[in-house]
Amino acid sequence: LLGPTYGTGSILENTTLEVLDFNLLPSSLNLEDKYGIYSNLLFKYFLAEGIVCGHNLFVASAKEDPADILKELPAPLSDDALKNQVDEKETAIKSKQESQESMKIAWRYQNLPRIEVNIPAASARFGHYYDVSKVVSPELLQSTKWHRFFLPEEMSLHPEIKTCNMTCGYTRLLQSIQRIIYQEGFDGSYPQKKQKNILRIGIQSLGSVLWGDDICCAHNPEDIYSLTKFLYVLRGLLRMSLSACIITMPAHLIQNKAIMERVTNLSDTVVGLESFIGSERETNPLYKDYQGLIHVHKIPQLNSLICDVSGTKDLAFRLKRKLFTIEVRETLRDFNV
Amino acid sequence: MWGETISISPAPGPFPADTAECEGRSLLKTFVAASAHRGESVHVFGFEIPEEEFRAGFDPDVTVRLLYQDGFTDPLRWTGEAGGFGAEEFTALGVAGRLARGPAGPTTVVLDSLSWLLLRQPLPAVCQTLGQIPRAATSLRVTRILALLHEDLHPPGLVETLRSLARAVVGVGPAPEGMGSGGDAPHLASMLQRKGTGKVLKKVGEGKWRCPDWGVDPAANLTFNLRLSDTERRARDGMSLPFHFTVSGHAPFSQPAHFSQATPLLGPPAQCPQPLPSRPCPPFFFLPVPTAVSGPTPLPLAPPTSSSSIQSPLSL
Repeated sequence: LLGPTYGTGSILENTTLEVLDFNLLPSSLNLEDKYGIYSNLLFKYFLAEGIVCGHNLFVASAKEDPADILKELPAPLSDDALKNQVDEKETAIKSKQESQESMKIAWRYQNLPRIEVNIPAASARFGHYYDVSKVVSPELLQSTKWHRFFLPEEMSLHPEIKTCNMTCGYTRLLQSIQRIIYQEGFDGSYPQKKQKNILRIGIQSLGSVLWGDDICCAHNPEDIYSLTKFLYVLRGLLRMSLSACIITMPAHLIQNKAIMERVTNLSDTVVGLESFIGSERETNPLYKDYQGLIHVHKIPQLNSLICDVSGTKDLAFRLKRKLFTIEVRETLRDFNV
Repeated sequence: MWGETISISPAPGPFPADTAECEGRSLLKTFVAASAHRGESVHVFGFEIPEEEFRAGFDPDVTVRLLYQDGFTDPLRWTGEAGGFGAEEFTALGVAGRLARGPAGPTTVVLDSLSWLLLRQPLPAVCQTLGQIPRAATSLRVTRILALLHEDLHPPGLVETLRSLARAVVGVGPAPEGMGSGGDAPHLASMLQRKGTGKVLKKVGEGKWRCPDWGVDPAANLTFNLRLSDTERRARDGMSLPFHFTVSGHAPFSQPAHFSQATPLLGPPAQCPQPLPSRPCPPFFFLPVPTAVSGPTPLPLAPPTSSSSIQSPLSL
């Protein structure tokens, strides 16, 4: 059931995360936040990780030109820059600790270990770090081999089709992915000729009206199964090739909840993002340090029969100047002590 | 209830959505004027009001930059007059062709209204067309697409989808009680804008603009008359009804009815019939026959307002 790209990647939950590793999950579904800001960020992280690791990329979108998406990928942080970042954090924490008086009422917590920021050695590090405030350099981008699928461009190549309904759009995308997998040998077509590499596929805003699908605006869509059929065929393509895929989807717009259940079943990992923008949580003091919550709906049970036994699912994210971090929410963690 | 203004990416810009309670076309026209003052040409695809009505109120330096595509006069293209714009022509190439007729340079595209198009074409097709317009119009630069949306007409899912696609959404609604003073009714406009940097801005502003004094009146502009003119109302009020007691207190139908105004179906009575014994007659009704071709005389719906005007059928 698992593709050959299976590895040890997982979402770390117990410490401050600085990398959410999508590396090795065959198909990963990212449910968009309301304004699509943070899901777009995770989408770009996935692709940026592919560039740094030297993977091939396939970027599909119906909204933005894939070339523009790639130009806005975050720049990787070099080791020195990362050390500076970490040093800044340590200084901030130390100065905070010094100014803190001994606790009077909460004296039991006085002896708890301080939160320390350690940067593991490069060999032990899992993934890479990125600076969200900078974009990837054009030189790094040029050295990457990437493929594109832009639906309006595909439609303009066939002007006899006036509007592209969902079947047409999804079919064309599947054909394009299949062609690239075959031509570039990701399915083992050319075993001796080429060095094995991984194809990272990113599909932006699948299921939105720009793909020709009406599941976002109608409770009884015209073709309720077109999206799930697409995902089923895509899963087959991923399983028989060296590839991993991230898909973002505007789940908050999909009217029919049965569709989301089926989509969750067809994916290996499903992560939902809930941003606080425009909601009452934005001003709630409980959430003042965070910009949103992460809901892990599904993680892959790889070669395992047991169900999900992760410790806590109360994850929140914050975007601070340069880094996007995911943390266990502090209030609940304190209760666990 | 709020209306909304939405703009569609990639061309940023707001477009108003409104409701029956608060119209948004005035706000749309202010955006049009602002674009014209910036030196952009403005292509208006109008479907709901005639061109003269849309141009009314603009300064001459705005109207000179306004190019109107008339989708109101002949929306189904029955007369086939040149210059008209039908619903089926709303494709990326169709719109780009119209835009190419105007001057090159920065251009604002205005849709009045998007609701009209969404009632005739499916939403995915309309959204795909809007997304492709800036790419299809190669001879000029589409800086923004403004569209007016009547929120009342669409299901909430459709409105939410459009909100998620748009770069900026401006909603108009009546201001709460007590806000503002003066002649014009105050309105509140709230704007939600997504910037390219990923920030979301929310602003609420108060404005005053004179809404046209029309209410939601489904009986207006019909080919038949649902209302009474003054003479018709007086005639109806003076009508005597068969069931009214006389001033002297006689029960109805103890004497035969006498109608001076209505023309009975069976013909006018030649003379008053003899009094019948005092037992109730079966009631019979006369339908007034229309005397004029222009419209039917309405049925008497209400009894006469004062007892003195009762023409008692029993007082002979």
